[in-house]
Amino acid sequence: MLAFVSKRLFSAFLTLLLISAFIFSLAHLAGDPAIAVAGREASVEDIDRIRAHYGFDRPLIEQYFAWLGRALIGDFGRSYHYQQSVSDMLVTRLPITLTLGLSALGFALLISIPLGIFAAIRPNSLIDRLSLALAVVGQAMPTFWFALVMIVFFGLTLRWLPISGNANWQNFVMPTIALGYFATPALMRLTRAGMIDALESDYIRTARAKGLGQGSILFKHALRNVMIPVVSVSAVQFGAMLSGSIVIEQIFALHGIGWLGYDATVRSDLPVVQAITLITAVFYVALTLVADLLNAILDPRIRIG
Amino acid sequence: MEHQPQELEMIPHSSSLARRALGNASVLMSGAVLVAVLIVAIAAPLIAPYDPYAHDLSRRLLPPILFEGHNAAHPLGTDPFGRDYLSRLIYGVRISLIIGVSVMLISGLIGITLGLVAGYFGGRTDQLIMFVINTRLALPIFLVAMSVVVVFGPSITGTILTISLFLWDRFAVVVRSATQQAVNQDYVTAARSIGCSNRYILLGEILPNLVNVVIVIGTIEMAYAILIEAALSFLGFGIQEPTPSWGLMLAQARQYLFFDSWLLYIPGSALFSLVLAINLFGDGLRDILVAGDRG
Repeated sequence: MLAFVSKRLFSAFLTLLLISAFIFSLAHLAGDPAIAVAGREASVEDIDRIRAHYGFDRPLIEQYFAWLGRALIGDFGRSYHYQQSVSDMLVTRLPITLTLGLSALGFALLISIPLGIFAAIRPNSLIDRLSLALAVVGQAMPTFWFALVMIVFFGLTLRWLPISGNANWQNFVMPTIALGYFATPALMRLTRAGMIDALESDYIRTARAKGLGQGSILFKHALRNVMIPVVSVSAVQFGAMLSGSIVIEQIFALHGIGWLGYDATVRSDLPVVQAITLITAVFYVALTLVADLLNAILDPRIRIG
Repeated sequence: MEHQPQELEMIPHSSSLARRALGNASVLMSGAVLVAVLIVAIAAPLIAPYDPYAHDLSRRLLPPILFEGHNAAHPLGTDPFGRDYLSRLIYGVRISLIIGVSVMLISGLIGITLGLVAGYFGGRTDQLIMFVINTRLALPIFLVAMSVVVVFGPSITGTILTISLFLWDRFAVVVRSATQQAVNQDYVTAARSIGCSNRYILLGEILPNLVNVVIVIGTIEMAYAILIEAALSFLGFGIQEPTPSWGLMLAQARQYLFFDSWLLYIPGSALFSLVLAINLFGDGLRDILVAGDRG
């Protein structure tokens, strides 16, 4: 187990190192950062002064390691546009995105697990067919269009929900649905397939033969084994939601890191773009690591093989 | 040999294949929709009633038929610049299809190559390629794609290449595991024992057996590419005005949600229907080509 953990940790570390190099070089291809800071009307002397001040005149590799070293201790520099510490901005914005991501994941699980279980208990029944139809529709629905249609319907026509901002919990209802439903089809199919496998297995037949009730068989025995893949896929889906929330946050003016990432890209605010890309990648890598370790703990074949 | 080699079961006989396709209602229907879409895209200049770029500010925001105040000359109405909405919708399908097909081909080329190499050679090569796949998965697609547009400027080619660099992972993962299974089969051992080169075994022996799986993944990725292009164009980092793109039409519709929400419904349902047709076609193909339960 220890060998497996250290191997996975090492590869996660390498992945992040490669990503940080990628992010850094991409940001520095984006034209002269000194001009971005100084603005279009700045004089040549001003630009030179800024270049020296921020260290843009140093070799790129030196700038990269300086940036990485500071990033490791949580210092992502200052935003060019907002003239504020990037870390401080992230600290205020991150909870909003995490709230959105967690509630979207909760929403997805709340829909997909019951539907998946029902569909598995009675394959080819009405519920099974309905949930399949829901999955097919869900996979084809453009997230941003779905969000806009909800805005028109619940926000403008019925006036039930606010269409922008992040002041109250009501602000999170539509973004949660828009972001969460996208993960529903995958989780539902996974639950259904896992439940069908489990219900056909020998240990469930034994449980039935012992005379256990249906409820106990389903929830204590079958579901427990299905939850392993569901939890690990949920972790990965959560990581994907954090990166996908940029579209949703932009539409609903939800000022989390997704919105900030969009805003910073539009303004070529390099330190902010770099920090957000890196943070999102760190979350994703950490969550897949957790998912892998969870699988390894529960399934010995993985950690030995 | 007593048992049938497994790979033969993967490819049904061609006449039975056609029969199964005709017996599968969803493949038949979605296939018909896709053929119709393709014809519309190719024959756009013949079908579209107006020039999709022609402004007419005296005819701004005409509503579509069934709405009060519509104009029969513009069955789907006009956009805020007075451009015929139907014509823009028809030309927009070209962008979606060009993006979908090109991304499918490029990402397929990358993913299949990496998957074959990783699955066939195994060991350190496999580890390296898996590492590259994991790195790609950890990159947030929209943020990076937007930065790429900031760096290189917006263009159709750029959009295609950027999306392609993000969508090859599923090809790679699936082809890799299919190759791992194929490597241990008799036909590969046989090819090795008569001295075939690795290149020949990969491209001449293993790849043809993976065609079915690859086609199914191809449809999924094509649908996904179309959705991503629309989202990028919607955010302003994909196709740019005045080129007609459905995502761009939705971005414009967003400014008129309150009074002219039909602007939103028309390109949105077109996008939804196209992606749905591709997905249903892919699902049906999987039922026909690749044995196994949906899951």
